[in-house]
Amino acid sequence: MSERDDIERLAGEYVLGTLDLAERRAVAARRAREPALDNAIAAWERRLSPLGEAAPEVAPPEDLWAEIERALDAPAGAGAPVVDLTRHLRRWKLAAFASGAIAASLALFVAGERVLRPTEPQSFVAVLQKDAASPAFIVSVDLATRNLTVRAVSAERPADRSYELWLVNDRYDAPRSLGLVEDEGFTQTAALAAYPREVVQSSVLAVSLEPRGGSTTGRPSGPVLFTGRLVQATP
Amino acid sequence: MQGGEQDQLVDWLARSARGDRAAFQALYRATSAKLFGTILRILGDRDLSRDVTQETYVKIWHNAARYDPAKSSPITWMAAIARNRALDEARRRQPPAADIDDVELEVPGDNPDPLAARARREELRRLIACLDGLDAERRQAVLLAYCHGLSREALAQRFARPVGTIKVWLHRSLAQLRECLGS
Repeated sequence: MSERDDIERLAGEYVLGTLDLAERRAVAARRAREPALDNAIAAWERRLSPLGEAAPEVAPPEDLWAEIERALDAPAGAGAPVVDLTRHLRRWKLAAFASGAIAASLALFVAGERVLRPTEPQSFVAVLQKDAASPAFIVSVDLATRNLTVRAVSAERPADRSYELWLVNDRYDAPRSLGLVEDEGFTQTAALAAYPREVVQSSVLAVSLEPRGGSTTGRPSGPVLFTGRLVQATP
Repeated sequence: MQGGEQDQLVDWLARSARGDRAAFQALYRATSAKLFGTILRILGDRDLSRDVTQETYVKIWHNAARYDPAKSSPITWMAAIARNRALDEARRRQPPAADIDDVELEVPGDNPDPLAARARREELRRLIACLDGLDAERRQAVLLAYCHGLSREALAQRFARPVGTIKVWLHRSLAQLRECLGS
């Protein structure tokens, strides 16, 4: 098979969409430096584009434009993580049942045999995870003192990076940093002292991977790896 | 899309490249239903499609200067960005449920559009004629991949064939299409 056939085949399958994710990424990287591949892809896009005409038009959600504008206004470099977090926030709202169940079983474990009936709930926990099967951090918050404790469960961090904890709430335009967290043992912080009770109760917590020492932009600058919602831990 | 409309899209893209937010908003108004529909057809999930549509427009805004009218029409260029993002997302996830209907293709009927629309219809007609040259199952595999983003594995399951066979189908179908369309 000639190199040209190879390029044609790769470009065709890329546009058709049947390559797997690793192959797609490899092609996306190669086309930036290989004009022959880039041209072959453009030619396939042209050839198959009439099929796109057959796609039904569907009105997007009304508020999408406003969201796009917000993303465009975000400072350079902060855009993607903010988009990510908005997405996580929405997902968590949608997945409230599932995550609630996980957190509730954990809360049961945390509360143990103690019978506490304060007038207002004081203890909150969040399980920060990538997916339901792999919790990475467990966060507990005592609302009375605003003390926050992070316990690492299974987070593996590259040596030259730091994990940073963020508070995400509809009330704020951007995530708020709660400081760095260790990937072993416990980390304690009083960073929540600055936030009212109702904010703490309604927030999503997220952990991003940052340069060593934390983000220098005031917003997550690296990938957001783990998220979770605080739920009441005691009745 | 009419010739005049197409020129309008080219102009909005050029102005977006210079930072004109109003032009970009007009571009969004004119194209978002098409792109959202394209993405939704691949991903099937509205919330996910919403996120991918947002990312698509952010990318269009940042890359508008790279659009070259000599190489492709604005909608082809924008739809390629949308499809690529949607396909990346689809490949990241589990293969979609296999309950997608077969794809029926029809050439849109006559509407009051003048020449440009007729040209697009002609292109679609030609492509359909070439697709008709493929064996029925292979044609369906090509259409399901392009329109609904089915992976090789999902296609293998649907047609009860090994993944290797699907790969061969796709390669041969693509080669045959390229020859038929001539280029």
